Amino acid sequence: MALTPEGAGGPGAGPGAGGTGDAGWLRVHPASPFVRGWVALAALLFFFGRDSFERLLQGGPLFDERLAGRAPWLLLGGGTLLLLTVLGFVLSWYFTRYQVAGGYVRVNTGFLFKQQRQARLDRVQAIDVVQPFLARIFGLAELRFDVADAGQSAVHLAYLRADEARQLRATILAHASGAADGTPAPEPGQPETAAVEAPEQVVLTVPPPRLAGSLLLSEQSVVILAGGIASVLLSAVTENRNFAVFLIPAAIGLVASYWSSFNKGYNFTAAVSPDGIRLRYGLLDTQAQTVPPGRIQALKVSQPPLWRMFGWYRIQVNVAGYGLADSAGEGSARTTLLPVGSLADVLEILSLVLPDPGTPDPAGVFTAGITGIADATAEGSGGGQDTDGGFVTSPRRARLLAPLGWRRNGFTATETALLLRSGRWWRSFVVVPHQRTQSLALQQGPLARRFRLADLVLHTTAGPVAPRLIQAGLDEARALLDAQSARARAARKRQKSEHWMEPAASPAAPPADDPQEGPHHG
Amino acid sequence: MRTEAIDPPGIDWLRVSPKYVKVRLAGWALGNLIVVSLLSIPLVLVLTGVWTWPPVWLGVAIPAAALLLALWRLVLIPRQVRSIGYAEREDDLLIRRGIFFQRTLVVPYGRMQYVDISVGPVERSLGLCTLKLHTASAATNAEIPGLPASEGARLREQLSARGEARLAGL
Repeated sequence: MALTPEGAGGPGAGPGAGGTGDAGWLRVHPASPFVRGWVALAALLFFFGRDSFERLLQGGPLFDERLAGRAPWLLLGGGTLLLLTVLGFVLSWYFTRYQVAGGYVRVNTGFLFKQQRQARLDRVQAIDVVQPFLARIFGLAELRFDVADAGQSAVHLAYLRADEARQLRATILAHASGAADGTPAPEPGQPETAAVEAPEQVVLTVPPPRLAGSLLLSEQSVVILAGGIASVLLSAVTENRNFAVFLIPAAIGLVASYWSSFNKGYNFTAAVSPDGIRLRYGLLDTQAQTVPPGRIQALKVSQPPLWRMFGWYRIQVNVAGYGLADSAGEGSARTTLLPVGSLADVLEILSLVLPDPGTPDPAGVFTAGITGIADATAEGSGGGQDTDGGFVTSPRRARLLAPLGWRRNGFTATETALLLRSGRWWRSFVVVPHQRTQSLALQQGPLARRFRLADLVLHTTAGPVAPRLIQAGLDEARALLDAQSARARAARKRQKSEHWMEPAASPAAPPADDPQEGPHHG
Repeated sequence: MRTEAIDPPGIDWLRVSPKYVKVRLAGWALGNLIVVSLLSIPLVLVLTGVWTWPPVWLGVAIPAAALLLALWRLVLIPRQVRSIGYAEREDDLLIRRGIFFQRTLVVPYGRMQYVDISVGPVERSLGLCTLKLHTASAATNAEIPGLPASEGARLREQLSARGEARLAGL
């Protein structure tokens, strides 16, 4: 496990421990509890201030005469509550301390119920610097450190000064990558020497008009349009105007949802650095994600039907630290590697995720996976062989079960990844690196058995991508089950270290130029 | 219809204990007792005159249909239990189950995160246990029910040892 209770060790955060210089333990920014808890403060102020404010607006005295006798008590009560809240904030700030040393990040929190947490740096799955709007005004940022526990971030440091957060991210990544291992390890407790942030190179950006267009043409819009038309028709037919009433909250929810997607996807920038893929996005709340190399468990390129006229695609990934995407929330933004992009953008991102595609013609294979379709004249029970890319599609007998998809549903394997494609209208293309396959299952229901078909399911960590080969011929599926477990086994044997940069390469500064070289396992 | 096994040929499957049928029977009896008696409530209420609506034939038909379904599943239980199998290969564990809805699962030893053994009250009285493998994927769902307790313990040790030897990261 990456997370272990620290036990009796570690400097205690008792009342006697004062100052920030205490053995390399640092505190978050003093303003952070207020930025984090502004909702509570605002609620308090609202609760006590509303009455007086309303009276003021009405031109009356600040306090009701009847209240005058009770005012001191009310003020006392409110003041005490406010004081307690602020005291709680201050205490929580005082007792939250962190340290990055000796290959671990440690965070102590809590005042009555203490929690000491440490996570191994080389177990990092992803690291994010998040700036909610309010924090951004104050120049603060939150650092999130994810390990493979599906969902909740192992370590939240909220809030640090923005440059501090970036510095800390660089330090953590330098240790996790092994780039800093060449230097003699400082004494435990001593602050680490500042690491140089790995240089990055912007690969692509998503222009805001395209983002707006993609949202308008998304699946969501189709459903909404259908719902809107249905309700208008219903109200016209039944002469019942009540349907319009239901539309109002729906519209509000809709605007909120579009706004949230736009806010999240605005100014999306993907960059590559030796520390992995960097994503930056956000209009009001900005977020910078770093996914180190080899942390992506599975990837899906998908295209809703309406996006086809512009040739747009979306890329989503499974990363062990991110967990399942909650609907339209933060999770779905975090698991999106590309909110909308052209085929060229998709190929670019694929080349970052799979630096070694394991095939001489990656662009051809990937394009065949994304847009390709097998020849309709492919005969025989052995499944059609696509001309480009070598995708093995469902056999001809599957056309009764999947009249549209049978020429599209298929798989191929390169030396490093298994590629699955499906969907004629809702195109999707899934990439699972061999060394990331957890387990495999062959499944068959009664209907599929009549046609001698079977599904092959690949299990990966929780996330938006659920790799599944649909309706393959039984013999091909069986062969793939064997071949794929052999390939995964071989890939696991090749996989060496969680440190993606060899310590011998360059002790202090990470190799600057070629992003294709460092990041990948064996 | 002849059932063609979907698993790769040439594997010696180890079958689970035939006593596991009794565990499934106990679960079946309990589950269907509850379902059928719940579905019979309208019938009782109609017969006693509390309710007037569902006509008697409907009141009889619904629990009867549930009972028929239950009986069909009862007939299937022994075959289902016989269809559960597992095989230890050099680098992975294979688990298969099902007759109508077949599934063959391959779990590499190096991907195992931990192994669970659980024993329910009926299983305990028959000396059986259920072994469950966990990988980093929640979808894996690798369960071998109805193992004799000694075989379960052996398998657990075996799997842990092999997992140790072939440990891979995430």
